[in-house]
Amino acid sequence: MSDNLNLPRRKALKKIGAGMALGASGLLSAPAFAQNKPLKIGVIAPRGGIAGTAGEGGIRAMEWSVAKLNAMNGIGGRKIELVIQEETSPKETIDRYRKLVLQDRVDAVHGVISSGVSLALAPAAEQSQMLTLLWDGTTQDGVKEMMPNPKYVFRAIDNEVDAVMSSLLAIRHFKGSMVRVAGINADYTYGRNTWTTFTAILKKFGIAHEVVTEQWVKVGTMDLTSNVATLKTAKPDVIFTSMLFADLPVFMRQAHNVGLTENCKFVMPAAGWQQTAMKKEFTPEGVVFGHSTMYFDNPAASPLQKEFVRWYADKYKDYPHWESDRAYFCLQLYKAGVERALAAKSGSWPSSIEIAMAMPGLKVESLGGPASMRADHIANQLIFQGLTTHKNAYDFPTLASVETMSTEQIQKPAGADFWQWLESTKFKV
Amino acid sequence: MSLIGILMAGVFHAAALFLLTSGLQLVFGVQRIVNLACGSLYALGAYVGISFTTWALAQGLPVPMFPLALLAAGLVVGLIGLPLERLISTIYKRPESFQLLLTFSLILVFQDVLRFFWGANPQQLANVAMHYGSVSLWGAQMPAYNVFVILLAIATAVGLGWFLGRTTLGKMLRATAENREASAAMGVNVRMVYLLVFTLGTTLSTVGGAMVVPTAAVSLQIGVDLVVEAFAVIVIGGLGSMKGAAAGALIVGLIRAAALVLYPEVEVLATYVIVLAVLVFKPSGLFGKAAV
Repeated sequence: MSDNLNLPRRKALKKIGAGMALGASGLLSAPAFAQNKPLKIGVIAPRGGIAGTAGEGGIRAMEWSVAKLNAMNGIGGRKIELVIQEETSPKETIDRYRKLVLQDRVDAVHGVISSGVSLALAPAAEQSQMLTLLWDGTTQDGVKEMMPNPKYVFRAIDNEVDAVMSSLLAIRHFKGSMVRVAGINADYTYGRNTWTTFTAILKKFGIAHEVVTEQWVKVGTMDLTSNVATLKTAKPDVIFTSMLFADLPVFMRQAHNVGLTENCKFVMPAAGWQQTAMKKEFTPEGVVFGHSTMYFDNPAASPLQKEFVRWYADKYKDYPHWESDRAYFCLQLYKAGVERALAAKSGSWPSSIEIAMAMPGLKVESLGGPASMRADHIANQLIFQGLTTHKNAYDFPTLASVETMSTEQIQKPAGADFWQWLESTKFKV
Repeated sequence: MSLIGILMAGVFHAAALFLLTSGLQLVFGVQRIVNLACGSLYALGAYVGISFTTWALAQGLPVPMFPLALLAAGLVVGLIGLPLERLISTIYKRPESFQLLLTFSLILVFQDVLRFFWGANPQQLANVAMHYGSVSLWGAQMPAYNVFVILLAIATAVGLGWFLGRTTLGKMLRATAENREASAAMGVNVRMVYLLVFTLGTTLSTVGGAMVVPTAAVSLQIGVDLVVEAFAVIVIGGLGSMKGAAAGALIVGLIRAAALVLYPEVEVLATYVIVLAVLVFKPSGLFGKAAV
C-alpha cells in the first residue's frame, strides 16, 4: 500500500520538477518570462564625421530618458537596455541592423539620421518584422517606392517641412528686399528638395525674384572659398542654404571673411544642428534660422525640456538640438504603444505588430512639445524657427523671437504627393 | 567682387592643391613611389596645427604669431616621414601594386589614428585667419591670410626649383631620380637620399595642411577626398614633375572656380573632362616625361 502511495508521489514530484525546469527554460508562462527580461532597444546613429553632432544629440537624449524610465520600472515593467550601433553607409548600417535583429535580438530599433540609410533600411525592417522608429532621414524621394505601406517602420516628420516654414518666414521678413536670390546647398536629394521648395514657395506667393546662382556642394566639403567667391560676385539679396552639417559653420566663416554677410540676408532652415558652432563673429543677426522640432532656449519651453536642457548643459557643456527631441519622441511613442497594446492584451506582452498597430493616433509629450503619430506612420510635431539675435549670453546667436508652426499646417497630408500638395495648399505667411 | 574675385578664389584653391601635391611629386620624381597617403599627411598636419596653435595661443602666444605656430607644427609632424620611409622601403623592390596597397592601407591607419586622438567630429581653428584683415583688389575682397597662403605656395615652388636646380643636394636628388645605380656608383648614398626625399615630401604635405587649415576646417574624410583631387592635378601636370604640379593645380583651381560661376552643375565634371583629355591626347601630362 505504502509502495502504491509512494509511486504516484514520486511521479508527482518528478512532474513538479519537470514543470519547474520547463518554467525556468521559458517554455511555460512565456508572457510572464518576457516581462522579466530587459527590453532591448537597438539604436543606430552616427557617432562621428559630419553627422556626428546629430547622432550624439539623439543618443544622449536616449540615455537620459532611459535612465528616467528605468527609475520608474522601465516600459511595461521591463527595464530598458540600449544596444548602440554606428550609422555609416547604407550597406554597413544594414549589416549592423541585421546584427541587432538576429544576434542581439532587440525588441525594437530606433535612430537613423541619413535618408539614404533610412530608405535602404526600411525594406529590411519590414522583411524582418522589426519595429523601427526613425529619428530623421525622411526626405521625400523614394519613400513611396521603398516603404509604400509600412507596417513596422515609423518615420519622423518630413525633412522638407523645415524648408517650407523658413520659406514662409523669409517672405514675411524679407518681402520687398528679396529680388536677387542665391542658393548654396548640399548636392543630394535633401539639398535639392529644400531649394526647390524655397523657390516654389516664392513663386507661389508671386515674389518677383531672379535666381542669380545655384551652388551645389558635396556634403562635408571643408573648403568653400570658390563657392563663396561666386556667391559674392552674384550679389544676392538673399542666400538660401539648407546645409546642416559641419560644413555650414565653415561656409558662414568663409562668407563672413569676404564680407558676404554684410549686405545679404540668409535663410537656413536646418542650421540648428550646428547652433553652437555658428559663432556670433561670423553669423549675423536677422538670419532665418531653423531649429526644427526643438529650440533649446525657447522661453515657452515645457518644464520637461528645461530639465533636459539643464542636464545636457551640465553634463556635456553644450546645448541640445532637435535630434534629442526626435530620439525622446520615438522612445515615448514606443512606450505609449507598448502600454496601449499591453492593456489590450490584459497585461501579456504584445508582439511587434501589435505594438506597431497601437502606435498610430497616439499623442505624447516630447521635449519640444506635444507630438503624435499619424495613420501613415509619419509624425506630427511643432517646428521652431525665427530671426537670429546676438543679444544673449552665449557666443552664438539665438532667436530674437520664436516662431512656432505645427506640421499639421506645413506637412503634406497622408497619401499626398509633396510637390502637388505644395502647389495646391494655401499657406498663411 | 567680380571676375578678379573668382580668379583669386581659384588661385587660392590652386595654392592649397600645390602645397598638397608638391610632396607627392617630389617623392614620385625621385623614388617612383606613388604615395596615396599624401592627403592623410596633409590632414595630419592640419589636425596637429590646430591643436598646437590653440595650445600656443592659450599659453599667451600673440595672435599675429599664429602662422609661426602652424609652421612649427607642420615641420615637426613632417618628421613622421622618417619612420614611414623605413616602412615603405620594404617594398621598394616589389611590383608597383605593393606601393599602392601599402600607401592605401596607410590612409586607413591614419584615419583611425586621427579618430583616436581628435575624435570623429571635424575640427577648425578659431577665426584667427581674420586677424590680418582683408585685402581688396579691384573690388574683390579676400582675407589677407589667403593671400599669404598663395605667396607661401609660390615661395615653395620657387624654393623647390632653386633647391633641386642649384644646390649640390638637389643635383644629387635629380641624379638619383635619373639613374639610381649610376648615382650609387658615383658615391651618392641612395639610401639617405630616399630618406631625405620622403621626409621632405611628407613635410611639404604636413606644412600644407597646417598652413591652409585656418581658412577652412579638417575632417577625417579629407585624406581620401584630397587624394582624388591631387591625382587630377598630377595627371594633368604630369606625374613626378614639379612644374606639372604647379600647372595642374592652377588648371584645376581655375577650372573649378570658372565652372562654379558659369555652370555649377559641372564643377566636378569640368575637372575630369580635362583629366580625360590629357590622358587621351598627352598621357604623360603637360610636363611629364613619356614612358620609354
